[in-house]
Amino acid sequence: MESRMRKVILIFVFCVAAFCQLLFVSVAAAHEFGQLIYQKDSLYHRIFVYKLGPVVTLQFGRRAAVNFQSQVNLRDLRQHMVEYTKLAFCGLLYKPQPQKILVVGLGGGVLPREMHYYFPALDIDVVEIDPEILPVARQFFSFREADKLKVHIADGRMFIKKQLRRDPVPKYDIIILDAFNSDYIPFHLMTKEFLEQAKGILADDGVVIANVFYNNRLFDAELKTFLAVFGRCQVFFGVYSTNAVLVAPGPTSQSLTVKEAVDKAMVLQRRHELNFDMLMVANQLRPNIRPDPRVKVLTDDRAPVNWLRTQRRN
Amino acid sequence: MGHQSSKKAKRANGRKLHAVEIVLIACVCGWFVMELEILGVRVLAPYFGSAVYVVTGSVIGVFLLSLSAGYMLGGWLSRKANSQRMLGINLMVAGAWLCAMPFFIEPVCDGMFNVGLGEKWGSLLSAFILFGVPTLLLGTVSPTAVRWLTTQASDSGLNAGLVLALSTVASFAGCVVTAFYLVLLSLRGTIYASGVALVALGVMILVRSRRDNFQKSQRALGD
Repeated sequence: MESRMRKVILIFVFCVAAFCQLLFVSVAAAHEFGQLIYQKDSLYHRIFVYKLGPVVTLQFGRRAAVNFQSQVNLRDLRQHMVEYTKLAFCGLLYKPQPQKILVVGLGGGVLPREMHYYFPALDIDVVEIDPEILPVARQFFSFREADKLKVHIADGRMFIKKQLRRDPVPKYDIIILDAFNSDYIPFHLMTKEFLEQAKGILADDGVVIANVFYNNRLFDAELKTFLAVFGRCQVFFGVYSTNAVLVAPGPTSQSLTVKEAVDKAMVLQRRHELNFDMLMVANQLRPNIRPDPRVKVLTDDRAPVNWLRTQRRN
Repeated sequence: MGHQSSKKAKRANGRKLHAVEIVLIACVCGWFVMELEILGVRVLAPYFGSAVYVVTGSVIGVFLLSLSAGYMLGGWLSRKANSQRMLGINLMVAGAWLCAMPFFIEPVCDGMFNVGLGEKWGSLLSAFILFGVPTLLLGTVSPTAVRWLTTQASDSGLNAGLVLALSTVASFAGCVVTAFYLVLLSLRGTIYASGVALVALGVMILVRSRRDNFQKSQRALGD
């Protein structure tokens, strides 16, 4: 009698638990980015893809520190849903007719896809560490590889190091650093030693561009590291987001004033019929930003990136 | 672990340290194993990237294998009459290795890369070369500590449990403190300082064993 009672109670508890689980899952699926349409655990990330109408969003982990990785409006691929992909075009103000560019970090593939759209003759190499991201970008974010647009599955630093060993060393006109995991940029892609390697594959009149966030003191450390390696660094600040783009010109590349940037942006806008406001991007240039003197250059030996990221910046 | 009653038995086992000291030594080594393991990931990342092979395959794999060899060696050494001296030497060598490590991280890792070994085999071999020896030597501590604590066969399981439990708690502390706080400091500096601490510990154990031997021989002379 007693044992039957226990069985009944057990079954009841199990049913309640199962019901709660179901409820939780269905509530969790209703997300600010819409319906969860794809989910996969890769070696590196928990990949989530959401869809709300025509807008598809890529997220790594549900409660990621970086809100989301990539966003695309499938009805209008030319629309930049995220500010920084526009900001990252600023490299073209310094090098208006690039031959060869490198993008570290694929995500939804918006940046390389748009570069390829506006500059079909441009050689684009993309490096992505996670082999599961490429099929996701193809399937949900309308990303296509092409002869001029190649994706390499590798760690960004390893890829650059391998390029350095080639003879002759391939030189890139623009290097865009946009590798993020659910937290932030992996530390070994921010250090002085890494930037020196990147400098090794940069054309003399090329630029290195990094997508960062400016609301914490890691920004100062990154800026300082860029200054230590390249001697100069200009910053384009986001207006709608806390994204900023660091631009480090190579030795023979010209630094720009806001006026020069705007002039160049006008030419660029006209010549390539850009579908977004490049003038606004140019206006967001702050040519002479100085880092907080108290932060130190990030090195392979010492890069307290997580700690710096928790320190707010005014 | 009797205290008063087993004093004589201690001598017979070649045990010259107090039980608390023995457990503390095991704890210190537990701490350094995990500290080194966590720093190991950061040591290799600049050379082999943060690919999953490096973290889970190479670093954790090498540590487990080296510890296994260390346990074996430690068990063998614990039967020797001069096990205390051997342990002191082990810790000194491990410490010296760590002190030297900052200077050969780059040649080793770049060397692997130059001979065409990438994030898989390159990082595995580098991890072996860099961390194999010190981890192995740190692994010799636990079995020896168990031996020293054991005066009766019936206590052996209890002593093994005690050593494993406390040194694992120390490993936990080493993990947390390293991952939360020590990463804020210079990587090479931390490894170097840990090396110095281990050498100091080794020297202390060695000195104790010599002094105890000396006292013993004095007593023998007196008799």
